[in-house]
Amino acid sequence: MSFIEVRNVSFGYGRKTPFEVQALKDVSFSIEKGECVSVIGHTGSGKSTLMQMLNALIKPESGEILLDGKDINENKKTEAAARFRVGLCFQYPEYQLFGETCFEDIAFGPKNMGLHEDEIKRRVSLAADFVGLSKEKLSASPFDLSGGQKRRCAIAGVMAMLPEVLILDEPTAGLDPSGRDRVLEIIKKYRENTGATVILVTHSMEIAACVSDRILVLRKGEVACFGTPSEIFSRGEELIEMGLNVPSFTKIIIALKKKGFDVNEVYTIDDAASEIKKLLKGAGV
Amino acid sequence: MIRDITIGQFFPGDSFIHKLDARAKIVITVLYIIALFMCKNFFSLSLMLLFSVVCVFISRISPKLIWKSLKTIIFIVLFTSALQIIYNNRGEVLWKPFESREFAVTTGGIYSAVFLAVRIIALILLSSLLTYTTSPTMLTDALERLLSPLKVFGVKVHSLAMMMTIALRFIPTLINEIDIIMSAQKARGAKLDNGSVGERMKAMISVFIPLFVSAFRRAAELAVAMECRCYTDGASRTRLKVMKMGYRDAVAFGLLSLVIAGALFTSYYGFSSMFIFEPVM
Repeated sequence: MSFIEVRNVSFGYGRKTPFEVQALKDVSFSIEKGECVSVIGHTGSGKSTLMQMLNALIKPESGEILLDGKDINENKKTEAAARFRVGLCFQYPEYQLFGETCFEDIAFGPKNMGLHEDEIKRRVSLAADFVGLSKEKLSASPFDLSGGQKRRCAIAGVMAMLPEVLILDEPTAGLDPSGRDRVLEIIKKYRENTGATVILVTHSMEIAACVSDRILVLRKGEVACFGTPSEIFSRGEELIEMGLNVPSFTKIIIALKKKGFDVNEVYTIDDAASEIKKLLKGAGV
Repeated sequence: MIRDITIGQFFPGDSFIHKLDARAKIVITVLYIIALFMCKNFFSLSLMLLFSVVCVFISRISPKLIWKSLKTIIFIVLFTSALQIIYNNRGEVLWKPFESREFAVTTGGIYSAVFLAVRIIALILLSSLLTYTTSPTMLTDALERLLSPLKVFGVKVHSLAMMMTIALRFIPTLINEIDIIMSAQKARGAKLDNGSVGERMKAMISVFIPLFVSAFRRAAELAVAMECRCYTDGASRTRLKVMKMGYRDAVAFGLLSLVIAGALFTSYYGFSSMFIFEPVM
């Protein structure tokens, strides 16, 4: 039995109105404990809906979602428990900050869990430590922080609940490269310290390839493929057909292959570099 | 949940009603409402109700949507009807809870309760049809044109119309935003749909503060974007879509005049022996 099991889940928005959309169609997959999975797909492929289902914010119309072998939508209690066990950080989480101070905002989740005062304090400082927010910043208003700091403060608000599964929807959207690396570093740190399962929704194949154990590709509400980065990248042309942005180096390798050069499948930029070097050497350049 | 709000929502279509000029639709709705309040008996009222039911039928808007907009005012309907039953003492007494005639349930009370209920329903039917079949931009455009004579008195009609357009435009955006913020706070365990009233009120703070912040942010961004495109107030602009009254509008006005004439005639001349509506105020 896997840690998270999604079985034949379907869902649609706006049923019986002119705006009906089938968001998910018979989706099934499972994720092991401690794994890091990236979910990629085009806009409207059902990524966000699926993520909100994993923490019981949306109920599937049919099918079920098992966490540790138990249906999370069984009753109100299991739903509430799932919200805390599965921490979901929405896209642009800085737009959801509201506390007078960063401390208060980060403490919102733990407070709702009904934890003891001391435990709340401990968790807030732990979460602030994960995301690299200093003590002085904790007593500042979240609206006075810079964009990147706001993002990290909001992520800390989810991490403070110490969820066993951490889901982040596009955590790096709209950040500059250094901000992006910083957020990825934070996620890695959280995972190493807590052994949590991490699910990352992203548009970027580069990020998916370098941080995750497995990649789940969604297309029009269905699972297009699910496998290790090398398995996924070996189907590069299919991904391009789906309208997904594959890394530039993958495109180069595919193009080389088409021209009849003998190159291996690669999924990191370093591998691509050594492949090309090998080619150049073989040609005697 | 919050997505179910249909107020001001536009459902595109190509029915006769959709194709009417927006100005004509507004004028028709206003005239209809005035006539509705001049009806004195059930005969004229049912004629008016029939008109709006036929309009709904022609517009091909699904009855479910109409029912949705009616549902929101059901409380008002019940409340006014209840007041009529309690306070209107005309006609025969049917049930007397107290010694005096006061608060008694009478035929007159029931009659005016039903009358008022039908009147409100007819009113909502036609006015919700107006927003269902007219896009918000057409609606404000039409309002601007209809109100333009007020310019003589120094009223900034264009600014008013612009504000209305922007407000209408941002309703769905803000609803969407509330939806996301609510989900995000629920994901952090905010007791928005479970827990005591006090807990819910407290949890709402975590929704409203981010909502206001984002509304102000959007307003500032929009203002900058408008300035960048050299928006000036009251500059005379040409329009992408020039409104034109056509034969359809003439037909609609003709039909409306017939119905109103019929209703007023039966109210004031014929059928005087039938019940006369006398609500208590």
